[in-house]
Amino acid sequence: MSEVILQTSGLSKTFSSGKGKKVKKVEAVKGVDLEVRQGEIFGFLGPNGAGKSTTLNMLTTLLAPTSGKATVAGFDLLKDPKKVREQIGYVSQAGGADTFSNAFENLLLQARLYGIAKPEAVKKATELVKRFQMSDFAEREANTYSGGQKRRLEVALGVVHNPKLLFLDEPTTGLDPQSRAYFWEEIAKLKKDGMTIFLTTHYLEEADNLCDRVAIIDHGTIVALGTTLELKRQIGAESITMEFGNEKDTEKAKGLFGSLQFVQKIYNQENKLYLFVKDGESLIAEVLRVLDKEKITIQTIGLSRPSLDDVFLQKTGRSLREGKN
Amino acid sequence: MKAITDISLLFARHLKKGLRTPVWLLIGLSQPVLYLILYMPLLKNTGVAAVSPTGEVVKMFVPGMLVIMGMGALFAGFSFIDEIRQGIIARWLVTPAGRVGIIISLVLNQILTLFSQSCILLVIALFLGLNVPFIGVALTMVLILLIGVTMSSFSYAISLSVKDEGVLASITNTVYLPIMLLSGIMLPIALAPNWMKNMALFNPFYYVVEASRSLFAGDYGNIIVIKGFAIMIAFTLFALWLAVRALNKMTA
Repeated sequence: MSEVILQTSGLSKTFSSGKGKKVKKVEAVKGVDLEVRQGEIFGFLGPNGAGKSTTLNMLTTLLAPTSGKATVAGFDLLKDPKKVREQIGYVSQAGGADTFSNAFENLLLQARLYGIAKPEAVKKATELVKRFQMSDFAEREANTYSGGQKRRLEVALGVVHNPKLLFLDEPTTGLDPQSRAYFWEEIAKLKKDGMTIFLTTHYLEEADNLCDRVAIIDHGTIVALGTTLELKRQIGAESITMEFGNEKDTEKAKGLFGSLQFVQKIYNQENKLYLFVKDGESLIAEVLRVLDKEKITIQTIGLSRPSLDDVFLQKTGRSLREGKN
Repeated sequence: MKAITDISLLFARHLKKGLRTPVWLLIGLSQPVLYLILYMPLLKNTGVAAVSPTGEVVKMFVPGMLVIMGMGALFAGFSFIDEIRQGIIARWLVTPAGRVGIIISLVLNQILTLFSQSCILLVIALFLGLNVPFIGVALTMVLILLIGVTMSSFSYAISLSVKDEGVLASITNTVYLPIMLLSGIMLPIALAPNWMKNMALFNPFYYVVEASRSLFAGDYGNIIVIKGFAIMIAFTLFALWLAVRALNKMTA
């Protein structure tokens, strides 16, 4: 097993609002234990408000934890945040490039802020422009960039000092499919160069394709941790998904199937019902018979192998894909 | 030293950004200049001259306008909130650049703007008959720049905790007007009824305005000058501390 580059134990954050006797405490992150290994792409998944960003802000020194410990890139997060900052790169969801400057100037300033002397910083900026294929637009102001071009610059800004560990917050949100594919390639290249990548996402396909291991956070606690394959295997089942015309039918069907032997687990969300079963193919006919007998009409029925979304569904009781955020 | 390099790098960056939209320089300047041209003449035939240190309305009025411009630094937070939203501040915070350096670079940029505006205002005032000793103007300028540091730092601190232009606007407007009226910027507090004079004693900016007027009048040794400087230095340090603390506590 490769070396551990990030380790947290009992990492927690409680926000308090209000004053005096009416102090409201919100436990955004409750005792997170994580381990990220050197050289891997680690995916941090969870719905909005689950504690994803709060955890990321703590790990990137932007927010002091209420309790718990963490070692990031070899340094104690609480005792040595300055050293941690030297070792990590961070690309926020908003990105944070200066839109009134061009890519080259942005990179140059960023390198200088990391303490790189000017001649070397110029060299580094030139190299990154080439590496991230920004030559066509590197001399133009960033406010003229497309979403994909801006994202490329922002990732380049995050790696200007060759960090050991790169944090990416929702890096592909709002990108078109082509830019997203390009981004995936870039990330894979960074990994190949030995960089460890910690990214949050709510695109499960992305986590499935890109990440070596993932953690799922919900209500401030880690509910699943492992390789995507491991997690899917843990579920061990296929899911039959049915869609009904209304909620009444959905509830009725849930009652019917809930008591059947072959159903391992059952969930419903809006008008969809998910049955987790073994050997789903041979059961579809049976499912249809049951519905027919009770005169419940269904709109669609489908069978899927366990996906990361199913893992999510099982662990949190909600589908991330269906969630509108 | 790394800290100095960081400040100068970021300061150059702010300057570049500012020079792209120099119209801001004029917007901050327009109000005091309009007062100078369209309001100050009204005071000539009133009793204001009688309560002015040297009997000249212009020497009473121009220091007040300089203080108003200094207080305008309260609005520095608006573009800062935009930068927080764009993730720019968080990006700097994750670099090894120091928190103090980030705030100082931003404040220095405000100070430079304020200094340029003040110079333009003074030149206009010269044409309107202002005649003051250089030392008086220079010392007043120091006071005004301290106001700029204080107000911009307060503005950054508020912005970091509310992160909302609307809230910042209502806070600044609520604070700005009573401070301005109770400091005798437009008309000297000497004209006020006693209860108002007593209230003004609790307004730190009252002392600053009066100190600037004394400096313009060449009365450098006046106790009000010392009070004005002491108050402004204390405020400057407190506001800077508050801004750095807010930046440290910022949740990206």
